[in-house]
Amino acid sequence: MKPEKITLMVDGTFYTEPNAQKEWAERFKELTGIELEIIQPDHATYYDSVSQTIAANEIPDVILLNSTYYSSYASEGVLWDMTDAWNNSDIKKNMSESDIAVEESLMLNGRLYGLTRGRGNGAITYIKKQWLDNVGLDVPTTYEEYLAVCEAFTKGDPDGNGVDGDTYAVSAAGLIGPEAPWVNYLPEFYQDAYPSFYLDDNGNWVDGFTEPAMKEALERLRDAYAAGYIDPETLTNDTKAVRNKFYENKTGIFTYWAGKWADNLRANLIVNERDPELVACPPIAEVGTYIDRSTGGYCITNACKNPEGVFKYFFEGMFDGGDLQTLWLFGVEGIHWSQEAEEVNGVTYEAGQIHGLDSRENPGTSYSFDCLALDVGISDEYKATHNLASPDVAIASQELFNAHSRQEDRIVSTDEMSEFNGDLMTLKKSIIANVVTQGADIEAEFARFESEGGADWSKQIVDSLNALK
Amino acid sequence: MKRKESTGTIVVNKKPLRKRLYNYRWLYLMFLPVFIFEIVFHYAPMFGVGYAFTDYKIVNDATFVGFKNFIRMFKMANFWQAFWNTLQISILKLLLTTLAAVLVSLLLNELRSLRFKKLTQTIIYLPHFLSWVVVASIFAMLLAPTQEGLLNSLLTSLGIVERGSEIYFLGRQDLWRPVFYLINIWKETGWQTIIFLATLSSIDPGLYEAASIDGANRFQRVWNITVPALMNTIVIVIILNLAKVMNLFEPVYVLQNDAVIKQSEVIQTYIFNQTFNSGGIPNYGYTTAVGLFNSLISCFLVLVCNALSKKVRGRGIV
Repeated sequence: MKPEKITLMVDGTFYTEPNAQKEWAERFKELTGIELEIIQPDHATYYDSVSQTIAANEIPDVILLNSTYYSSYASEGVLWDMTDAWNNSDIKKNMSESDIAVEESLMLNGRLYGLTRGRGNGAITYIKKQWLDNVGLDVPTTYEEYLAVCEAFTKGDPDGNGVDGDTYAVSAAGLIGPEAPWVNYLPEFYQDAYPSFYLDDNGNWVDGFTEPAMKEALERLRDAYAAGYIDPETLTNDTKAVRNKFYENKTGIFTYWAGKWADNLRANLIVNERDPELVACPPIAEVGTYIDRSTGGYCITNACKNPEGVFKYFFEGMFDGGDLQTLWLFGVEGIHWSQEAEEVNGVTYEAGQIHGLDSRENPGTSYSFDCLALDVGISDEYKATHNLASPDVAIASQELFNAHSRQEDRIVSTDEMSEFNGDLMTLKKSIIANVVTQGADIEAEFARFESEGGADWSKQIVDSLNALK
Repeated sequence: MKRKESTGTIVVNKKPLRKRLYNYRWLYLMFLPVFIFEIVFHYAPMFGVGYAFTDYKIVNDATFVGFKNFIRMFKMANFWQAFWNTLQISILKLLLTTLAAVLVSLLLNELRSLRFKKLTQTIIYLPHFLSWVVVASIFAMLLAPTQEGLLNSLLTSLGIVERGSEIYFLGRQDLWRPVFYLINIWKETGWQTIIFLATLSSIDPGLYEAASIDGANRFQRVWNITVPALMNTIVIVIILNLAKVMNLFEPVYVLQNDAVIKQSEVIQTYIFNQTFNSGGIPNYGYTTAVGLFNSLISCFLVLVCNALSKKVRGRGIV
């Protein structure tokens, strides 16, 4: 039965009120006949608001959740099981195998609780072409070659300013990321090590921090840090600081998000009067594949009185290949996008090229869209008839990432995870920082991991995850 | 009101309660919004402490577990580390900032030019109004372990530090706390001088004149007149701030990093990490238990401070 109204809770990644959210909802109603009530708390405290909303039992029909909260709320029974609806849907019938795999990566113990509009995406290594040329090296394909590039970028004069040793090879926002997949900003050093839980080749959950590969990774990080290849402020950097150092020619290697960030980095290098040519690198042999982070998605909650109706009219519309899918992908025509021949913020577009219009909230900048290569459920026919003016560098980096990435294992929240993982992650991060920045002995730190309870907490969490299989 | 005298005792009869309420009705009306605010935002939420005795993950009803959360808490080495860190860092911070404020106040008090005195005082208490996030950003830049860091650049140019061996002030376990205390002194000293300068301005100038006539030099006048006059205020400031030592969060959170967790983790950041870094829905029962313990310690400190205040001032703070 078609619902008359749907309540939707979203974070700041959805159109905000200054960015024509009202017009978006009106267009949605025009196309579907359904009134959409959008609840959009402050982005920085979105998950606080989600928790409070659920605690207050004011749960919306549809909610947008990230990977962690998706898994947690699904396992706590907050989300509607849409497995049967998905299996019988037109969405699945019309989707490519690879896109179906992306959607079904959201399954928990074989059951599906949400759908995603796009891949989780991940970070890819960008290297400044001019720096490589100045030091006479090629794009590295192995760790040995990568280290040679690091040494040249650190001790030589890769920026051509006549001064040796005033640059670093690489910087990152932390020696370990703030969330899964943890290692995506320094993949060449971590390689096959992973400091959290994943499924091994036998399909069993293990804690990568307790595996031998982790000690080898720490040794690589420590040696590179001591040699000065890694920016010493990596311990305390945030992503903005790292980007600024890249723009200011302090570093030459930057592992950052694939897709439209390739164009953002290029544009900001131009603004900073630096050579903008970047090489998006395939992973080195020892890394193998970059990590495509688990995605969350849009979920129907168990508070929804008509979940089948919401699935049919809300979710199917996202992938209908028509005006509704266009609304989801690009927004409202004439407000967020256009395909007229025109100039917008200094960029000239031809007729038929879908491009972002001037932002209402930030005049002087244009609305931008992810590459279609990042989205799922877009048919070849749709791509053929909808020419998105994506920068070539963005498309290239996204396609390179998609071709060289593996899906991150999705972790389900357990009681043991809630009880121990906070202390466990604090201990792991402390050990990584001690080894890399303080030069602590690796064996001594891993003995500390045992003595301070880390091994015990890790085992309890692993056992609880394996018990769910 | 009637007075009855009998065998030398004065008995005062109060008016009936209704009459007194009516007489002061406008005052009560003015007080009503504040009263409602206190009930809704300070007293009603106290019922939430009941969650400390439950397993509660928001999405399902809380399950009573008795003292399980407290037993778990007392067994966790990380909790005790955070507890002792809170006491050490807070108390030392209080003593150092108070000492610095006293010294600065004494210096300011000796300034002859009133204009310069006011200008200096204004400049030094401006940092108090900066948010800790801004302060952390400023000092991250100033103390950066590269030649871009002002302090390292200065030390290198003076030959104290070699280029390439810059000091990571905020990243070294032996330096984090001293740097933390210095940043706190920079931020809070100016504000605290307001209280001490107010006390100093109330000292009778005649005392200084008499001391000068008796041949006392400047230092002797400060030591024998100014400092004793300030002692009462110093003690009161310390006592009043002692009650707040368990509420340390923001300055630590913005300045700490993974390398200095052992030196910097306090109770409030411990609760924060348990809540937001658990990789799933946290057990709010456990975090409430830790918060409740923190509050009980604060309550105990308030009672201790009240007793000390009665002893020093003759009246309590409560």
